Amino acid sequence: MSKRSWRHTYDSDSDSDSDSDSDSDSDSDIVLILGIETATEQVSVAIGGHEGVLGLFEVCRGRRHAEILTPAIQFLVQQADIELSEIGVVAVDVGPGLFTGMRVGLASGKALAQALKVPMIGMSSLDLLAFPLRHSDRTIAAVIDARRGEVFYCLYRPVPGGVQRVTEPRCGSVDELVAEVVARRDDLLCVGDGALRHREQIEAELRCDFAEQFLSRPSAAPLVQLAHAKALREEWVNPWEIHALYLRAPDAQINWSTRASAVPGAGLS
Amino acid sequence: MTTDPSGVSTSVDQSTLILGIETSCDETAAALVMGGHDVVSSVVSTQIDLHARYGGVVPEIASRAHLDTLNPVVARAIVEAGIAESRIDAVACTVGPGLIGALLVGVAAAKSFALAWDVPFVAVNHHEAHLYSAFLEDPNLQFPLVVMLVSGGHTMLIEMRGHGDYRLLGRTVDDAAGEAFDKVARFLGLGYPGGPAMDREAKRGDPTAIAFPRAMLHEGLDFSFSGLKTAVMNYVRKHPDVSSQDVAASFQQAVVDVLVAKARRAAREVGATGLVLGGGVAANSLLRDRFLLACQEDGLRGFLPSLAMCTDNAAMIAAAGWYRLRSDGPSGLDTGASPNLRLFD
Ligand SMILES: [Zn+2]
Repeated sequence: MSKRSWRHTYDSDSDSDSDSDSDSDSDSDIVLILGIETATEQVSVAIGGHEGVLGLFEVCRGRRHAEILTPAIQFLVQQADIELSEIGVVAVDVGPGLFTGMRVGLASGKALAQALKVPMIGMSSLDLLAFPLRHSDRTIAAVIDARRGEVFYCLYRPVPGGVQRVTEPRCGSVDELVAEVVARRDDLLCVGDGALRHREQIEAELRCDFAEQFLSRPSAAPLVQLAHAKALREEWVNPWEIHALYLRAPDAQINWSTRASAVPGAGLS
Repeated sequence: MTTDPSGVSTSVDQSTLILGIETSCDETAAALVMGGHDVVSSVVSTQIDLHARYGGVVPEIASRAHLDTLNPVVARAIVEAGIAESRIDAVACTVGPGLIGALLVGVAAAKSFALAWDVPFVAVNHHEAHLYSAFLEDPNLQFPLVVMLVSGGHTMLIEMRGHGDYRLLGRTVDDAAGEAFDKVARFLGLGYPGGPAMDREAKRGDPTAIAFPRAMLHEGLDFSFSGLKTAVMNYVRKHPDVSSQDVAASFQQAVVDVLVAKARRAAREVGATGLVLGGGVAANSLLRDRFLLACQEDGLRGFLPSLAMCTDNAAMIAAAGWYRLRSDGPSGLDTGASPNLRLFD
């Protein structure tokens, strides 16, 4: 069991009380990052560090996040020939996305970080969608399907080495997204499953292009890449401080009769 | 306990320390239990306040709260145990039945703890765990036992012939007993949750004031509470000036009469050595008194888990997990949540 503590994960002092026999002076500045991403229908896990992405697992069928995720982490770690105890940071996609699946990744990541006694880095799914398009010269709209005719979206502009938010992430109708872009008069590059789902409407109203289909889901590969940069600056938190970015309040107006029939055990334990 | 390279446990014994995790409804709970019965620590964080204004558990609110609460609850269970977490031999977690989103938070976290600590993961049926709450305080209960499980979701009489060997003797054909408590409490304006409110109100009323029906009292081992609920509502509509304390006391008496009569009959029919009460309704004070009295009269060993162990907790999950690990070995890391998981085929 690793005895590394939150703030001293990478200095050589703490390495001396770690059980891990792979630790050495030359390794002390290496940050291995486990990235977990489950905000859309995809389950994505990656391991990476200063060498870039060392391993990536992605499946986007069946919406069986909980069933797939833990074996995927185990498999990836084994195949990449890494001990879990070598992981120095757990990075997670905090959303927005589909609530239930997104929580599977968050709950897994938080438990792993707590058990391994390592810090965490949280990234937004929208940032992960926009980042791979940083070489574009247009405004980037990251758009995730929020169901019920709504989308989670955020606008970005490319900057050297990455992208920069020009709006705050929000949940709204496609009309609202269109209105926001029209007001800015920008040419647009759209990415995300929400953009593809509402492609006809967006195309009809905006001068825009759409990113490749394979970029339409956030991936753990850019997650570990972005998290690595943050880890070098020690911009991490403990698992307690990682919170989901829902952008939509719970549907609390549920009447008793629907709930009582749909929910076994609601009420008394 | 030792683990061979394939991850299969080779021995489960009195020193096996299990972390239990429970997130199936509105309690976030973690506990450390040794040997299947020795509760080293048990932490329960209830969400009742979050749901009270809605008059019931709101699934999305429950899931969000579990995600924010589970890590500190697990940390506290470990700290309160005063045991190094490297001594934990397995992680057991409720996989069903319950609210899907709520269950998934616990299952995902539990599997990750197991993976990170390199110990077995054990999937636990929430209802089976309620059966095992009795063993937390007395691991030497003799079979066959009759267990009456009364909660907001279920009212069941179960014959326990051995560990993992159950037979359903009877169950409710409509409302669960706890559901009837909640509905009548809301009808009387007693607030949420209904069980404790009704218990308090009934203490100040006359249980013989109103003769509510005791459905199916003399037939078989099944239950029905929907007619009783309707009878209460009709009575109050016809007698708007009736004391709600008398209504609560008479209603509670009718429920308890039926529950206790059926439990006694079940014990007689299967020749049980003892009767066990479990589930959230087992916290009802009248039911507890009458249950013990009946056991005394019938010469049965009566077993009532403490109040904390009747309601949802993680110690019972760890206890059931110990028996499951011993009989079936670890569960796969590809286990998901089963919101409609059953105890019987
Ligand atoms: Zn329960």
